[in-house]
Amino acid sequence: MLAIEDLVVAYQGQDVLHGISLQVEPGCGALVCGAGASGKSTLLATACGVVPRLVNAERVTGRLQLGERDFAEIKRAELFSRVGIVFQNLDDQLFDLEVEDVVAAPLENRGVPRAEIRARLAELFEELAIQDLGGRRVLTLSGGERRMAVLAGALAARPELLVLDEPTTGLDPAARLRLERSLSAVRDRIPLILAADQDAASLAGAMGRIHLLQAGQLAGSWPTAEALALRTPWLEAGLLPPRRQERPVRAGAAAGGRVLLAVEGLRTRLTRPNGEPVLHDVTLELRAGEVTGLVGRNGAGKSTLIQTVLGLAPLAAGRIVIEGEPAERWTAARRARRVGYLPQNMRRMLFNLSVLDEIAFSVGGSTATIGDPEIRARAARALAPFGLADKAEASPFALSAREQALLGLACLDAAGCAVAILDEPLLARDRQGRAMLDLFLRRSHEAGRAVLLISHDLELIDDLCPRLLILADGRIAADGPTEGGWASPAFQALGWPAPEAPWRIAS
Amino acid sequence: MKRLYEVNFLVKLVAAFLVMAAAWLVASPWPAVLIAALVVLLLCVTRVPGLGGYLKGAAILVAMVLVTWSINLGLQGQPLAEALPTAVRMAARLVATTAAFFFVMETSTPGSILAAASAARFPPMATLVLSLVFGIIPMLREEFLRIADAQRARGMEIDGVPFHTRLRYALARGIPLLVQSIRMAQAISTALAVNGFDAATKRTTWRQVGLLVEPRLPLNEVRKP
Repeated sequence: MLAIEDLVVAYQGQDVLHGISLQVEPGCGALVCGAGASGKSTLLATACGVVPRLVNAERVTGRLQLGERDFAEIKRAELFSRVGIVFQNLDDQLFDLEVEDVVAAPLENRGVPRAEIRARLAELFEELAIQDLGGRRVLTLSGGERRMAVLAGALAARPELLVLDEPTTGLDPAARLRLERSLSAVRDRIPLILAADQDAASLAGAMGRIHLLQAGQLAGSWPTAEALALRTPWLEAGLLPPRRQERPVRAGAAAGGRVLLAVEGLRTRLTRPNGEPVLHDVTLELRAGEVTGLVGRNGAGKSTLIQTVLGLAPLAAGRIVIEGEPAERWTAARRARRVGYLPQNMRRMLFNLSVLDEIAFSVGGSTATIGDPEIRARAARALAPFGLADKAEASPFALSAREQALLGLACLDAAGCAVAILDEPLLARDRQGRAMLDLFLRRSHEAGRAVLLISHDLELIDDLCPRLLILADGRIAADGPTEGGWASPAFQALGWPAPEAPWRIAS
Repeated sequence: MKRLYEVNFLVKLVAAFLVMAAAWLVASPWPAVLIAALVVLLLCVTRVPGLGGYLKGAAILVAMVLVTWSINLGLQGQPLAEALPTAVRMAARLVATTAAFFFVMETSTPGSILAAASAARFPPMATLVLSLVFGIIPMLREEFLRIADAQRARGMEIDGVPFHTRLRYALARGIPLLVQSIRMAQAISTALAVNGFDAATKRTTWRQVGLLVEPRLPLNEVRKP
């Protein structure tokens, strides 16, 4: 059993966790849900010993027990040999290794014989259906593929306690289902599972109990089936309830404006291991004031499509037309002034020293104008709607993932691009985050901007996008109204449940 | 020729040291030039990643060595006919050395280095240091390119601008690169810690290691438990 008793953790004079007590029973996974900045990651990091063994905190009090022993009695090497961990931001635990190295690392470090490691790798690759990732450098994978590789690594050593922070982020619905099944299947081998996720429904089948965290305190705990049926406690905790009650009015429903981005017959120079181009015949149009959703399997080429449109990946054939002008020969920077991009990991797009500098760069479009008082004043005004006014002087690298995503939205809005591409924004299930996303979409609609929203969260797409694109087999396999998209052969071929499908509940 | 990439890192390292020793031990310039040319030819034939960048750097290095050594020796009273061969020998030594180690660095992934060192039963700390020394430089270079892409994707015009402006923007990447380097070091240390790396326990490896290091697991040939 993992027992946490009266846990308090403080950073920089501020309590992040206020006296948390919870227990994880063998065979009964615990899922912690909470809005951004509610303390989920800190709770998990403390529960697996990362805080304070690897990351210092100003104050950690309370009692943590793994099995019969207090954490304080367990030496670092022993503790981390008994615990498997997947962080929310995979960049915090990955470097440039092959996928097999990532999965095998815990076994190699324990001196497990080669034959045993190889057999375990083969078993895990099959179980998680990641055979295609073999031999690939982990930093060249898509976000979802990376997460599957790290999850396989965490499962490889069959730890006593498995700690997963937002494990479904970036995973397509099929991969989420595989993860859920794997976690259910390993319950006899990995007795203790503690996870945090905003998408409770995705992991419901593998978790026995849900704990809601609100501003660093436990707001309640229920058996999973009971928790999923509730509504008010989720809303009070700042989250959208797992079961949708109604669909909001979509921004950009009245589409049909002029074409702002047109892609015709796009073929990429980037190829798959079998030599086939990642994308071979992509044709699409984005119109003014329209919000379009794009879905596709992990590794389908969604990020490659965006990189090619932005001029960051080479084009083998096809046309890219931005606001009526052929843009194939434009530099990436020239395209970026018309087509703004919010990536999955916004940290990868930051290069200034303060939040205000970042947005001033977006307002002025150059580092030379960052110091201009007028630009800085406009930049400060642009931060306010997204709740970042008090972070203006902070380092953008010190913001949380959610705050960085908000900064990304603020930068896109301030830059005034004709087209905005949002790649899996980390704001979907958090009420405040969703409100900011809605605000951005509303402002985009008013400004006549076209928005392309890429996500594996089908409910999010269904809620916000009147039009759906499905990327499969290197081309746009379906393009039309979202309701029809869920019934299209291209979507059926993915084998994913449509957003309306009933939730599966843990028995 | 790509099979050469799979040669055991330790074998490549020893070969690079031998090439370096030969280039520095030969007494006359032309054998040194021949060694340097052969190593550069190897880089071209095997299409080593980042070759274009290396060749540019090597060309600048050769030009600088030829000019500075010729001037220096000239100021010391040597006629150009004597000074030039000495400068050529020095440039060739440097090219042979840097090209040999460039090949080792660019064709060895951190994973293959870890595997080679683990299979040789090196102490865990030596394994780690080798892997980081040779593995982190390509990672930093890729990070540098990634930051440039981030700047482009945010609208910073760094391509169609004069050389001095491009240089200024490249220097401006130093700060984010420093931040990312620190994060990278932290990520590596965290990854090792949470994966149970222990300096007291000798590592094993999943790879078959001999003269070649297996690049991927042949899933069909492995017997599952």
